[in-house]
Amino acid sequence: MPEDRPARITLRSGGPDDTRALAAALASLLRPGDVVSLSGELGAGKTCFVQGAAQALGVTERVTSPTFMLVKSYAGDLPVVHGDVYRLDRVRDVEDLGDELLAADVVTFLEWGDAVRSFLPPDRLEVELLLDDPEDIDADRVLHLEVHGTWAARAADLATALAPWVGPTAHAC
Amino acid sequence: MGRTDGARVLILAIESSTPRSSVALAERDVVVASASLGVPQRHGEFLGPALQFCLEQAGASVGDVTGVAVGVGPGLFTGLRVGIATAQTFAAARSLPVVGLSGLDVLAFRSRHVGRLVCTALDARRRELFWAFYRQAPGGMQQVAEPQVGDAGELAAEIAAQGGDCLVVGDGGLRYGDELAAAGADLAGPADAWPDAADLAQLAVPRFLREETHEPQSLQPIYLRRADARIGWQERGRMHGGAG
Repeated sequence: MPEDRPARITLRSGGPDDTRALAAALASLLRPGDVVSLSGELGAGKTCFVQGAAQALGVTERVTSPTFMLVKSYAGDLPVVHGDVYRLDRVRDVEDLGDELLAADVVTFLEWGDAVRSFLPPDRLEVELLLDDPEDIDADRVLHLEVHGTWAARAADLATALAPWVGPTAHAC
Repeated sequence: MGRTDGARVLILAIESSTPRSSVALAERDVVVASASLGVPQRHGEFLGPALQFCLEQAGASVGDVTGVAVGVGPGLFTGLRVGIATAQTFAAARSLPVVGLSGLDVLAFRSRHVGRLVCTALDARRRELFWAFYRQAPGGMQQVAEPQVGDAGELAAEIAAQGGDCLVVGDGGLRYGDELAAAGADLAGPADAWPDAADLAQLAVPRFLREETHEPQSLQPIYLRRADARIGWQERGRMHGGAG
């Protein structure tokens, strides 16, 4: 099914704590079975984003980057599965990350998920994190949120929950 | 116990291709023990203890098992492979024959007394289903077309093309019930939502008796999805050598 151009929300984060805070605000909208795909360069804040969201979902264990583990599961009010496809070479290798990834009773965060779009469900939230100034690691982060499939119905709620971070887009691509 | 003529036939059945794993032991056509898992996705931690439990309940030992049946999908990739690997290891260690059966066939077997077209449909995630159609035939159910993967709209169109007179069985039918019912299908209840090892054992026993079996290493999971693709990291500008 061809997809209409997905709705996009652009946010601005002042740093790691701000990224965690906005992810926590977004987490209030997450439900079992949701899939959030994250992309952005090393240090852009993908893991910070998952840390903030997971804590808001009741995860008490410390969330760490799954780059070497490939996938990690966390117990919470809503279980969280955090995967990373960075080390994979083929789309189908995502299945090696286990059956908990994309399960109906967890929230799945998948780093670099946009690289394996053909494997992802059509209903998903895509988050892209960018350095506002690529030369400056301490620069603000610009986050583009794209709602796909049934996530479109949550676009207005997302904009409301994330209103404090909705920022100017002048530097974004 | 079943018939007493002939040698002992004790079949171990392992079905872990869906969120609901199960293990069963059948003495000829009688299921003598079974265990199933309500909590999804913990195949690896479940199969070993479940196997032990079934042997204890049946008063049997590992050495009494004469064949291993296993569900070969389509289904959840990791569960499927854990099940197949467990069956292969068990069978290879004792030089036992194996039978691999599709979960869609096992699910259809449950509806073998339904005198109409049966469609078994399992949730394939990503808004897709695995499905196959069956008709009653002497001694069981006969698949009437190759199994497929697709979305609920495609399955609904197939059901409509069959005239809509069809019973849909499986968790895919439960999940996409509205769309399938609109095409005219009737939906089976949640009791028959997943293939079960007890049914797998019963369906497999005649194959062991007829010696329609395989070598353990020849078992292959059924994979219905389209061909694999390489991830275009270079085109995406992945920073090679970085920690991600």
